[in-house]
Amino acid sequence: MNATTLVNGVLEGGLYALVALGLSLVFGVLRLINLAHGVLVIGAAYAALELFELFHLGPFAALPIVIVVAAVFGYLLQRLMLTNLLLKGPEAGIVGTFGLAVLGEAAFAAAFTSNGVSLQSSLATSSVKIGGVTLEMVLVAACAIAIACAGGLQFGLKYTRAGSMLRAAAKDPSTAELMGINVRLVFALTVALAAALAAVGGVLYGVSTGFAPTSDTSLLLIAVAVVVVGGVGNVTGTLVAGLAMGLVQAISVSVFGGGYADFTVYVLFFVVLIARPKGLFGQGAL
Amino acid sequence: MATTALSRAPGPVAPALPLHRRGVAALGALVVAGAACLALGDVGGAGVLSLGTTLFAYVALAQAWNILGGFSGQMSLGVGAFVGTSAYTVALTMTRLGWSWLPGMVAGMVVAGALSALLAFPLLRLKGDYFAVGTLAATMALDAWFDNWSFVNKSMGVSVPIQAVPGQTEMYVIGLVVALLAVGSAIVMRWSTFGVRLLAIREDDLAARLMGVNVSGYRLVVMVVSGMLIGLAGGVFALSLVSFVPDGMFAMSWTIEALVMVVIGGMGTVIGPIVGAVAVYYGITTELANFPTLSLFFEGGLLLVIVRFVPGGLWPFVVRSARRLLERRGPAITTARATSPPSP
Repeated sequence: MNATTLVNGVLEGGLYALVALGLSLVFGVLRLINLAHGVLVIGAAYAALELFELFHLGPFAALPIVIVVAAVFGYLLQRLMLTNLLLKGPEAGIVGTFGLAVLGEAAFAAAFTSNGVSLQSSLATSSVKIGGVTLEMVLVAACAIAIACAGGLQFGLKYTRAGSMLRAAAKDPSTAELMGINVRLVFALTVALAAALAAVGGVLYGVSTGFAPTSDTSLLLIAVAVVVVGGVGNVTGTLVAGLAMGLVQAISVSVFGGGYADFTVYVLFFVVLIARPKGLFGQGAL
Repeated sequence: MATTALSRAPGPVAPALPLHRRGVAALGALVVAGAACLALGDVGGAGVLSLGTTLFAYVALAQAWNILGGFSGQMSLGVGAFVGTSAYTVALTMTRLGWSWLPGMVAGMVVAGALSALLAFPLLRLKGDYFAVGTLAATMALDAWFDNWSFVNKSMGVSVPIQAVPGQTEMYVIGLVVALLAVGSAIVMRWSTFGVRLLAIREDDLAARLMGVNVSGYRLVVMVVSGMLIGLAGGVFALSLVSFVPDGMFAMSWTIEALVMVVIGGMGTVIGPIVGAVAVYYGITTELANFPTLSLFFEGGLLLVIVRFVPGGLWPFVVRSARRLLERRGPAITTARATSPPSP
């Protein structure tokens, strides 16, 4: 176990935090674990792949387009599907988002085969050496973007008008409605924002790690574990938990071998659920 | 009287299992249906026997999921965890210990039940969404573990000794017994005092607790029974597949199949999951056996469409429509009867 492995593990944790932020947001506001969140992440990576094949756009040139597409998709998803399901109760939300995940996996497998692929970028192979520690540039970028997104989200939630409307809608939808907040619109924009964050995470994940149609389940579980550890709706907690998760995974890979990478995360998830169901950092802003 | 009732400690106020009249009738119907299936296996050829065995195992799988998800409202995404542990127990006890299939299947059931109880400890304290994700994580963890565990040949998988696998007719009977056990459990849980309390917990666990229902005890019982039944179905799958790998036995597809069958048929009903299992097995599983991606696509799409437009499932929908039709015709029938001459 050397310093390079550990540092890159923490940096990769930034990626997990990025994926978890969107999940945390939806969970905090809609009280729903979006089981299709992993599919949104992988879908963004596939969208970037398609844009490369069609227009030879690199992953980072494609990113803005992918973000917009994901946000529109998220908005429509909430408007046409999730609102209706949530009114029927939590069971419908679980079945519906699970169905969406199954459908998404099948669609990706049909359109892109079930083989693993990755997004090509010069960033993927470049690295920088600082004092004996080799940093993978793509992970540095992912971590920096994750910190920027978390900071922006935290600021937006706390200090902007839209942020207070969102927090109000999350706390008590019916009272917020009485105060003149268009709760349905706020909910739809929340899912759109979560999908946009998922898209950023997905493209970076595609560049750094590569993906296959079934990658969504392990991503979803890692994200849920991060959200649970960090506290639902707690942006800073999610960021810290994501980085910690990356570190733990790096340690477990170097101790037990690569096969147990995901196993550690799932076990950790159970340990946290047993020990602190409310998360290590408590409930957040939402 | 009132004071004695109030001073009693909270807990079951009446024994939990007196079967209601509808439950007795349903169990009677189940016995008849079981006998009919047995007769069908006798006259049917090899095709009926092998199709029937798999179908029975799926009925058991769907009904076991329904007992947990439909009756007590705990949505599990971890069917594969119990199918896999039981299948591995069956294969390992038969190969390593030289057991025959019957003690092997019983061991599989017990181990699956024990896994349920173990998972219940962290999961049952949590609300619905966490339960779903927790069961999913348990399945993925077991899959990852077995894939890397040399005791079970890692990802190479294990096999049941082929000479110890029961013949086709016996397999049919085993499958039938497992399905009957599952449906019988569902009937007992649906139409009994136990079932009424379970529904109360599903609808409002706090209110149920205040009425003196032991919420976590009931949930634990249901989860263990469901796990044991899935284990039995997993044993049937193990014996009919003979050899298998972790990725197959701990797969998400078990959850998807069970969920699709129950959601299509009607969650929380006794007949619905049976109808759903037959419809999905004949309509999708066998038809699209060679197109796994297409069948996944259909199943995911069906989940979305059903939960969006027919949230109760097809069986309650059919029953409701039929009743409405009969009611519309109702008066006509009575007039006809009134005017017709009395039958001899």
